[in-house]
Amino acid sequence: MIKTVDLKKTFIGRGQTVHAVDGVTAHIKPSEVVVIIGPSGSGKSTYLRCLNGLETSTSGKIEIEGVDLTSKKTDLNRVRREVGMVFQQFNLFPHKTVLQNIVLAQQVVRKRKDSEAEEKGRMLLKKVGIAEKEHEYPIRLSGGQQQRVAIARALAMDPKIMLFDEPTSALDPEMVGEVLEVMKQLAREGMTMVVVTHEMGFAREVADRVLFMDQGKLVEEGTPEHFFTAPQEERTKAFLRQVL
Amino acid sequence: MLCAGLWIATKKIDYTWRWNRVPQYFIYNNETLVPTPFDGVVASVSNLGDQTQIKVVSENGEEKTFEVDSHTVEVSEGEDLFEGDYLGAVFEWRAGPLLKGLWVTLWISAVASIFGMIIGLVTGLCRVSNNPTLRSLSVTYIELIRGTPLLVQIFIFYFFLGTVLDISRIIAGISALAIFAGAYVAEIIRAGIQSIPKGQMEAARSLGMNVPQAMIYIILPQAFKRTLPPLAGQFISLIKDSSLVSIIAITDLTKSGREVITSTFATFEIWFVVAFLYLMLTSVLSQVIAWVERRLAVSD
Repeated sequence: MIKTVDLKKTFIGRGQTVHAVDGVTAHIKPSEVVVIIGPSGSGKSTYLRCLNGLETSTSGKIEIEGVDLTSKKTDLNRVRREVGMVFQQFNLFPHKTVLQNIVLAQQVVRKRKDSEAEEKGRMLLKKVGIAEKEHEYPIRLSGGQQQRVAIARALAMDPKIMLFDEPTSALDPEMVGEVLEVMKQLAREGMTMVVVTHEMGFAREVADRVLFMDQGKLVEEGTPEHFFTAPQEERTKAFLRQVL
Repeated sequence: MLCAGLWIATKKIDYTWRWNRVPQYFIYNNETLVPTPFDGVVASVSNLGDQTQIKVVSENGEEKTFEVDSHTVEVSEGEDLFEGDYLGAVFEWRAGPLLKGLWVTLWISAVASIFGMIIGLVTGLCRVSNNPTLRSLSVTYIELIRGTPLLVQIFIFYFFLGTVLDISRIIAGISALAIFAGAYVAEIIRAGIQSIPKGQMEAARSLGMNVPQAMIYIILPQAFKRTLPPLAGQFISLIKDSSLVSIIAITDLTKSGREVITSTFATFEIWFVVAFLYLMLTSVLSQVIAWVERRLAVSD
């Protein structure tokens, strides 16, 4: 479903070169939930952003459902329709109400009729548990509610893959649970998910596979049981000692 | 205090205030005399209240009916008339030069604002685009316009472009104003677009929108809201700057004022009145924009 081969992303600025992603090869299967963990600056977010073309990779190959993302001929907008993304800072549209946030892209990109888009929007708001807020503006919502709207907005496009970029890192602790709950439900429904997070509990409980990245490299990967109980690499052990 | 000071100061230079001369230059009752076109006889005079109908029959039987204001009737039934004799007069309210000038200033500013906005929007978008050619073109335009005085631009538009391209003074004036305003609007729009967090564009793109769609639905509406106060300032400036087109003989409010002064010598009064009229235009615009701002503030 998602395949990256020797993916590299290099930032050049102010005389120094940063290898944010330094040769990551990974394969993510349909309905798989993959959690990427690692210290900050390890390139996990950059890697995730490469998967829907928000960052242009420097070299290597990305394949989403057989479509080569690195090819110049690929229409990125077509690919992005199938790949939903949830951001750390929610990035809801502040000038639109909750329902409009969810309806807009359906109308503009998927060319759905108003009634159809709204029906879908209401259905998704119900699913993420904030049906009563549809006419509010995002600013009136708590962080957790905003992030759930953002998830609903991404789901409205009927994506085949969902990417989560530290979805709970900007939330107050008491709101983390409600967002993770929605994500768990999605995982149970068989959505293919790639999640960058610091929530080890979520990784342990929901992930099919955990990838550990450090300094742009994929250091270790495995099932949660293997990863959290018997890590092989020294770097992984050091990281886990600090976060657990 | 201020008024008293002004009064004393003008007293000192023996200035006689003649405010009573001003109103007629706003609106006046125009008298049009109605002459008879041929030699003949007044066949009938029938009073219809304010108006009076006068029927005149010429020597060779031609009949004609005229309508004049009742209190101006100068003929009676059976009277012999010669060609050019006045039957009476018609009074009509007409806009005076100040009112006409105000109207010219208003529509010149409005048209220049609309085109200035369009030019500014396009240039602002070019300014933030990834295309280096578009970017440097827009930068050149902005620097060129911001670096030269508007008065000189108006002269160039009128004397050079006006002659070369054979365009009228009014089009030259409006184009100069629009292109001048466009440069400033472009910078305001650019600042507005750049003030929107990057995450907004990323969120729009991640939903599959292309750049124009993201601009239209996500970025520009938010940028517009933020740029409304500086845009308002720009358009208020434009109304005031439009007074400069009087220099190429467009009869706007300023030029009308100058013309009225030459016939009244009421220099002080007229300039105060002209200033007040500009103030009226600009404060109405301020109010309208403040209202729009309040409307847009619902999502804050």
